[in-house]
Amino acid sequence: MRWNWALFGGSVVSMVVSMGGGGLVRVIWGLWNWSCFGGSVEGEMGEALAGVGKVDCIGREMWGALAGAGKGLILRKQEQGQNRMKFKAFLTENGVNLLEKRFLPALDKMGKICHLFLTSEHAFFLHNLLSGDGVQSIAQFQKEALFDDYRISSQNEDRIAFAIDMSLLSRAVRSSVSICSELGGGGSNANRLQIKLVKKLPPNSTLPTPFLTFETKGYKSAVIQDVPISKPLSRAQVLELQTALDMAQDLPQTLVQVPDLNQLQNFVDRMKHVGDLLNVSISKYGDLHVQTSTTLITLGAEFRKLLVVGERAVPPPEDQNVSAQIRSERAILRGDAQSVQVNVKHFSKSLQCHQVKPDCAFYGIAPQGACLTVIFQFFIPGTRQTDKSISLHCRLPVLDPS
Amino acid sequence: MSSSAVDAEALDLVCQLDNVQGMVDALSAVRWKRNQDAVIELSEHGVVFIVEETGCLQAKVYLQRELFTRYEYSAQGRPRLGVSLGLFVDCLNTFSVPGHSSFIEIRYPGPDMQLLLKSVDSLDACIYAEVKTRIPDSISWDYNFEPAGSTPLTFTVKSAALKEAIDDLEWPGSSIQIKLQPDPPAVTFRGEGHGNLQIDLYYVNTDLLVAFHCDRQVSYRYKYKFLRATTSNIPNSVIKDNRGSKLTIGRGGMLKVQHLVSVARSSTLHPHIDSAGYQQPSRIAYIEFFVKPEEDEDAVND
Repeated sequence: MRWNWALFGGSVVSMVVSMGGGGLVRVIWGLWNWSCFGGSVEGEMGEALAGVGKVDCIGREMWGALAGAGKGLILRKQEQGQNRMKFKAFLTENGVNLLEKRFLPALDKMGKICHLFLTSEHAFFLHNLLSGDGVQSIAQFQKEALFDDYRISSQNEDRIAFAIDMSLLSRAVRSSVSICSELGGGGSNANRLQIKLVKKLPPNSTLPTPFLTFETKGYKSAVIQDVPISKPLSRAQVLELQTALDMAQDLPQTLVQVPDLNQLQNFVDRMKHVGDLLNVSISKYGDLHVQTSTTLITLGAEFRKLLVVGERAVPPPEDQNVSAQIRSERAILRGDAQSVQVNVKHFSKSLQCHQVKPDCAFYGIAPQGACLTVIFQFFIPGTRQTDKSISLHCRLPVLDPS
Repeated sequence: MSSSAVDAEALDLVCQLDNVQGMVDALSAVRWKRNQDAVIELSEHGVVFIVEETGCLQAKVYLQRELFTRYEYSAQGRPRLGVSLGLFVDCLNTFSVPGHSSFIEIRYPGPDMQLLLKSVDSLDACIYAEVKTRIPDSISWDYNFEPAGSTPLTFTVKSAALKEAIDDLEWPGSSIQIKLQPDPPAVTFRGEGHGNLQIDLYYVNTDLLVAFHCDRQVSYRYKYKFLRATTSNIPNSVIKDNRGSKLTIGRGGMLKVQHLVSVARSSTLHPHIDSAGYQQPSRIAYIEFFVKPEEDEDAVND
């Protein structure tokens, strides 16, 4: 899309576009305060155009015609492409709480760049799914968990994905939320936080750039925050992302519940000073054993009698009074435990997810020792029932797949 | 637990400690650089850590047996073992959980002459470590500290003030003069180099100088980096407890700096401890530094 804002100078327009048959668009103009709404005008227009469904692109001539005649004109259909991509939704209060205080700060620590993957039913925040190294983290929300009035469309089965800078996103949401609560008033819906995908010209540039825009409308004023995003992923890239996502769903056969994430994190953070590699073994008896070993020191921790989900076994009594190392070795020989080696920094990162305030956390080793998986569980508030609308899990690459 | 009792007979040392953080604090105080080797000396009286640098600076941490909740010593002679101090402190640190008093057991030697550590406060969660030891280098010089005459030349200064003074002396130069004079009773730290900085502590009230004994004027110069090592890692608990550090000048200008570090369980720390460190003496780790003076000092002093 190529818009030419120069035509309009400082004061611009809002418009309502309606479309009759045969691609005829009638534009009704109204004045809008440019300084207040800034670059969002284009977004508004894009959105208005989105409503008509068939308009893919508006050429420069449209503006000329509009500026000249101010009445109906015929739009030229141009190449099909990403221009049909539309996303708009309102963040719910629950969604704001989940993102602002819990998920965004934690996911920010997982890595600077994240893929935001939106489908007609779900929103995903994905780290390292395409890059292949580093901790993969997969946060999945049913659209209702975060949004209402959720509208998405694209030529790729209504799926949109793009890369976004987590710290910028986090800051934009935080600031929008504080503005939202300050503005207040104006009725229950007036100060809702709208999120949408737009393309606009950044200052001093002639190239339209995609943004994820947060718009807070108060009674008399509005604030818009634009978070730059990558070019939306191509059909092939989205397919790749979807495939990686599908592959990341395999469950370990045995999962053990970590009783105290804070304590484990404390321990692992100190362990980082001692060694770089961490051996993690998990048994069907409910033992979690982590150990780092260098030529000068061996340091480890063993947590026993943890809650087991999945395949379990009864610990043999003769293993009771032996050291943690011997206990793990025997369990592995018996086939009752698996062991993998991961980067201690990755392990520590995965523990930082406790910032999202999960109700439980489980560690497990994927079949064939493909990765170390940590799954965070969320309960429906006030119950012990799993909240299926939110899920978060991480996959830590293993260093020696054998 | 029964198996450890059987093994214990063959071991030189089995001891248990209920405040790991205190031990971390005490050992951190003598950790003035990242990679340092320490010699550990075991005896029936306790455990001593000895660290030294280039024959000019030596530090000792005395962990008396009274600091331990259990201390079983059955070695012949006094075993000495070498460890990497930094690694040992980092390792001990993993046993220390904020908000908990961590209970650990230390045993020596393991099957491969390791130091064996493990947490013993929970049956279902256990932290353990095996630290390799090596045959220690011989101590390069003997720090026999002898008094410089019939009356000791000594003063006690608030640890926080001492640290601050030494920190302030960083900019003038690499050599610091320490002068004691009886009249008026005062201690002077003087740095000369890019500029001059002189810090005088007068023994007029006991706010800074808690005690002072000096019957004649003496003055020696010490390398700044060694002086700094004596205070650079003073644990926060020492400052918080408002403790004093004792400095003594011995024969030939050898400087001895002593700090006291609390190894009490954190729960007993809450009652206010006054400046004299009035507390069970058995719950204190003693730290001593010995600093050799620079040699070009004229022999006026003796």
